[in-house]
Amino acid sequence: MNFGIWGVVSLVIYLAALLGVAEIARRAKRDTSPSDHFLAGRSLGTFVLFLTLYATAYSGNSLLGYPGRAYRDGYSFIMATGFMMAIIVMFHVIVPRLRPIAVQHAFVTPGDYLRLRFSGPWARPLRLAVAVLMSLALANFLLAQLKAMGDVASVVTDGRVSYPAGVIGLAAVILIYETRGGMRAVAWTDAAQGIAMLLGLAALLGWLLSEAGGFTEITRAVAERRPSAVSIPTSTVCINWFSTIALMGLASVLYPQAIQRIFAARSGRALKRSFSGMTFMPLATTLVVTLIGVAAIARFDITNAVDTDEVVPMLLRDWGSAGGFSTWAALLVFLGALSAIMSTADSCLLSLGSLLSRDLLGQEGRDEKATRLGKHLAAGMLIATIPFALWRDLTLWRLIELKMELLIQCVPAFLIALHWSRLRAGPVFTGIVVGTLFSAGLSLIGVTRLGGVHVGVAGCALNTLVAVLGSLRSFDDEPRSPDVARAGTAF
Amino acid sequence: MSRYQRRAMHFVCMLLIVLLYVVSVPWYREADAPLRIWLGLPDWVAVALLCYVGVAIVNAVAWVITDVPDAFDYLEKSQESEESDGSKVSGSAQ
Repeated sequence: MNFGIWGVVSLVIYLAALLGVAEIARRAKRDTSPSDHFLAGRSLGTFVLFLTLYATAYSGNSLLGYPGRAYRDGYSFIMATGFMMAIIVMFHVIVPRLRPIAVQHAFVTPGDYLRLRFSGPWARPLRLAVAVLMSLALANFLLAQLKAMGDVASVVTDGRVSYPAGVIGLAAVILIYETRGGMRAVAWTDAAQGIAMLLGLAALLGWLLSEAGGFTEITRAVAERRPSAVSIPTSTVCINWFSTIALMGLASVLYPQAIQRIFAARSGRALKRSFSGMTFMPLATTLVVTLIGVAAIARFDITNAVDTDEVVPMLLRDWGSAGGFSTWAALLVFLGALSAIMSTADSCLLSLGSLLSRDLLGQEGRDEKATRLGKHLAAGMLIATIPFALWRDLTLWRLIELKMELLIQCVPAFLIALHWSRLRAGPVFTGIVVGTLFSAGLSLIGVTRLGGVHVGVAGCALNTLVAVLGSLRSFDDEPRSPDVARAGTAF
Repeated sequence: MSRYQRRAMHFVCMLLIVLLYVVSVPWYREADAPLRIWLGLPDWVAVALLCYVGVAIVNAVAWVITDVPDAFDYLEKSQESEESDGSKVSGSAQ
């Protein structure tokens, strides 16, 4: 390979810069409270908020998993651009209602909303069930990032850093800067990483287009190599397309780290400006990685599904082998990809720490002790996830689906609860149990789709039905905070 | 633009987005139709892409006209509402 020792040197410089940012962020801390550590003291303005949302949403999954899936499916994976946009559409359902109560009651985690919204004997089991689902989804997300980090580190250094060493070493760096700098370090590094990722992807697509002679030539070459990759999708694929939009749109707004950015924004105006900008990012990112994956069909012949996650590294190796400017440009793209992956991993870790300490263990304090517990739990979770990252038999796309099928079961507890005052804790809890057992049970016996519909989406429909019908039949007058009722007046 | 007009426009934006999503999926095309290239892409991909560009524009407009109140605004509005109603804001609004 052609990066030589410069790959290692660049990686070391990049990691040193991350640790430097963490130190600056540590010095910028106002206090040691969970709000300051996990939400940067609720001070994120439009620019940093936009870039941190961007860098968090577009991760190792987007950069390695999506091209891999596009390579396998062909042009029908254009659906990815649609479902990434659906996430920003779905935030309309949650942001205007959640933001005012979140600020009013100084929420730190999603569970803080459930604590305020639901009462009665089933409120605590409901909070625990949601916390377990969100923690599992975050751990899964973290796992996908660790796998991607190991791959990229190994390629950048021409194998001088092995896959396991890459996973462990980079996880250690994330742990250090996240623990020291908290959300500020995460948001600031996200901002720089977001810019690097955008530039890198644009350069890679530009190279592919110039090599092939334009989109038309790429499409013709793909059609010749694999006709099914350009043909109109079958009805089952179309159903799956709709199902994927529903799955990703509904589940992604319930990412704990995304919800926490709603809390961390400096103002509602900063939030809506950030979302206005974010709605265009799938065109600049998801579309680009999809086209990269499709273009790779004409260049490579990969038969093993797991190996298709290597499509981007393989393209970058080809690009870098030209020498001179190409080598440096490919190296920069690699570092951009690595930074995007690390920025998502650090957000997951930060969120996981707060979720485990506050929502799962009930440590609701606002002092240094609560912050420290969150840090320790995050570290423990990261260490526990590493061995799974060393096992490489799942594609990144399958990891995404598994995570979303868990998260989507939380839809009634947030999306419906924010809009319907009659929803009760007991039926919502029952719905979550039924929906999760349904989708997890079918997944365990190898059924991932029902006529093209994801089992998680079918489970969510069942879950919602149980929650709504159960609440309609519930005659108890569950007391509700008047603040939550007032929030319903927000647009 | 009044609050009512913004709400109506927001509703129209959401309807448009749903319509664009429905059109973006080529469920209405024959699966064995021959390949036709448009804008360098298979025609059904180009249609999907144009729909998503439309979704991005309409969604951006929807975000611009959406109120995302902060606690301060929210308290003010609640107080104004209480003063005008002479009572607490009804829970039925949620």
